[in-house]
Amino acid sequence: MDGEAGVSRPASAGAPAAGGTLSLFASELLTLFRRRRTWALLGALALIPILIAVAIRIAGDAPSGRGPAFLGQITENGLFVGVTAMIVAIPLFLPLTIGVVAGDTIAGEASHGTLRYLLIAPAGRIRLLIVKYAATAVFCAAATLTVVVVGTLIGWALFPVGPMTLLSGASVSVGEGLVRFLAIAAYVTVSLLGMSAIGLFLSTLTTVPVGAMAATAILAVVAQILGALPQLEWLHPWLFTEYWLGFADVLREPPVWDNFADNALLQAGYLVVFGALAVSRMVTKDVLS
Amino acid sequence: MPAHHGSGASRRLSRWIPAIAAPIAIGVAVVVVPMQANAAVDLPDLTPAELVEFAAASEVDALSGTIEQTSELGLPDLSGLTGTMGGGAGGSDGFGSDGGPGGRGDASGDGSAGDAASATDLDDLVSLITGTHTARVYIDGSNARLQVLDDLAERNVYLTDEGAWIYDSREQAATHFTVDRAALDALKAEASAQAEAHADEARKRLEAELGTPLPTPDEVLDQALAKLDETTEVSVGTDARVAGREVYELVLEPRDADTLVGEITVAIDGETGVALAASVTARGASEPAFSVAFTEVSFEAPDASVFAFTPPEGTAVTEHEVPIPTLAELEQMKAEHAAGTGEPSDRMSRPEVIGEGWSTVVVLPTAVTGAGAAQGLGPDASLRQAQDGAALLGTLTQPVDGGRILQTSLVTVLVTDDGRVLVGAVTAERLLDAAASGR
Repeated sequence: MDGEAGVSRPASAGAPAAGGTLSLFASELLTLFRRRRTWALLGALALIPILIAVAIRIAGDAPSGRGPAFLGQITENGLFVGVTAMIVAIPLFLPLTIGVVAGDTIAGEASHGTLRYLLIAPAGRIRLLIVKYAATAVFCAAATLTVVVVGTLIGWALFPVGPMTLLSGASVSVGEGLVRFLAIAAYVTVSLLGMSAIGLFLSTLTTVPVGAMAATAILAVVAQILGALPQLEWLHPWLFTEYWLGFADVLREPPVWDNFADNALLQAGYLVVFGALAVSRMVTKDVLS
Repeated sequence: MPAHHGSGASRRLSRWIPAIAAPIAIGVAVVVVPMQANAAVDLPDLTPAELVEFAAASEVDALSGTIEQTSELGLPDLSGLTGTMGGGAGGSDGFGSDGGPGGRGDASGDGSAGDAASATDLDDLVSLITGTHTARVYIDGSNARLQVLDDLAERNVYLTDEGAWIYDSREQAATHFTVDRAALDALKAEASAQAEAHADEARKRLEAELGTPLPTPDEVLDQALAKLDETTEVSVGTDARVAGREVYELVLEPRDADTLVGEITVAIDGETGVALAASVTARGASEPAFSVAFTEVSFEAPDASVFAFTPPEGTAVTEHEVPIPTLAELEQMKAEHAAGTGEPSDRMSRPEVIGEGWSTVVVLPTAVTGAGAAQGLGPDASLRQAQDGAALLGTLTQPVDGGRILQTSLVTVLVTDDGRVLVGAVTAERLLDAAASGR
């Protein structure tokens, strides 16, 4: 069985109208999550919290003030493994996995020669784009949840767990802490939607999926480098990576929601611009394969 | 495929319209929405004096909001530099402790926490005068809280009747400031007539000790009003909008030629008289060098839970009691101050003030008696801080005749060769002059 080929598509893709969109979406999800590659990506993400937790369990507490934020709190409260892993995963690992999935959406079908069959069926080019994007968004949620859930579980297994100390110095119960972790996963998922739209657009430009994947991941890195340059401060509010680490606002007491609103607006802007570009490119594209 | 070729390029082009329209629509929204928010504000006209009075009579005792502070003093971004210095100082820690005196003289008894605090104090200081900071403020009567929102970290100042807490999430350290209630009460009983003023003094001391990390717009206004005299031209600027509220603009322009301050503007809420924004512009500059403004404000009393603080488990807690002098001590201090006498060591550590108004110059006798000693952090800590400070000064300052000078757009600092430090919002010439003549 070839996990990369994505040919095990259920035959329901051709059904028309709204029900058809739903079944197309369902079949797209099935295809995505039947792939070995998808599970390899999620597995790699799950390794981050596991490595962090095991390393700290073996090597003991890090000297305070070194390493990513929250690292020092893990030995006191295992729940922080998930947050620490999220901080580690956001700059590179998450964008890489999203880049792979988003860059593959259209270009992958084109490279396998399956794109024209999808379009021959009355799926419609725009509908196909929407379904592909929705599936990518589901993967974003799966990826962030993997980091948070695996982090929480491994932290629970290896370290003592108790009421969480928030950034403000207040303590909340384990239950409320877990709810806040889910809010972090939601925030990071939203943060990745703009990048997914960029990946979708790049994927319509080429028939070589690797090109679109690499370009998407590189753009994420470039945006973060630009975001680190104080000379380009005027540009920062426009970078899709600007609010990526803003999720810490959930861990304040009372929580601060400003970043959430700004982030959602920014990502919506990227979605509109690159979604429109992808649609235009898709409807004018000569589909030869 | 070939069928499409007939309809040609124009059809293709029309399909790119959404791709072109989307960025344009966003661009228009970005320009238009703030313009509508700032649409003509017209408040009833006030003279400068009426406006100052209106602001001074403001009786808001509960609010919550978000403050944004920006500083563009023309200093390089030193976050990287101080970071490595902090690490280096940490490495030499063992040496410093061994070489230091056995008794630390540290009231808190928690030396390591004090050392860590001193290393980061400098970082904090430098970080506060460069870049942008966001904080949330909560005020309700005598309770107040400042929540400085750092990246993945937070600093908090809680002020209540019982005392004050400072909590730093990065250090996981809390400092508890308390006022000896018994001593304060004794003082009150001792001289009930004067007690009010002394309690005020104690409160001021507490506030000075705390050194709030971010000044609120209100504090900036108070300081500006204190300087209001014939040295300053006061006018009312154009009405504007701050944090979605209509505000008056009070403009203060120094008449003094020696000062670097070009203009101070304070935005005063048209309804409540609370200062919602303040900015300081250097002479000849177009953009403010320092500004602090509410981006969002509400005058409803915040929930009582935001003022409650209990140090979480695993936190290093430093207890610090603010000394309350007795009435006799206070009077002695006053007398000494007036006469200019007293113990030499005591006098040496007290800053001297030269001049008045905008061109005031403050002279700190020696660099070593830094804030560390004043905060009771112990000799090690203050020495380390002084070393850190010296290293930092070396990289920032340029040599002049008789010392080294640090020039920013608003503040000039002169470190003379004989160890004095002169600070003022004045030109370098004025500082050198003051250093030479003592006037």
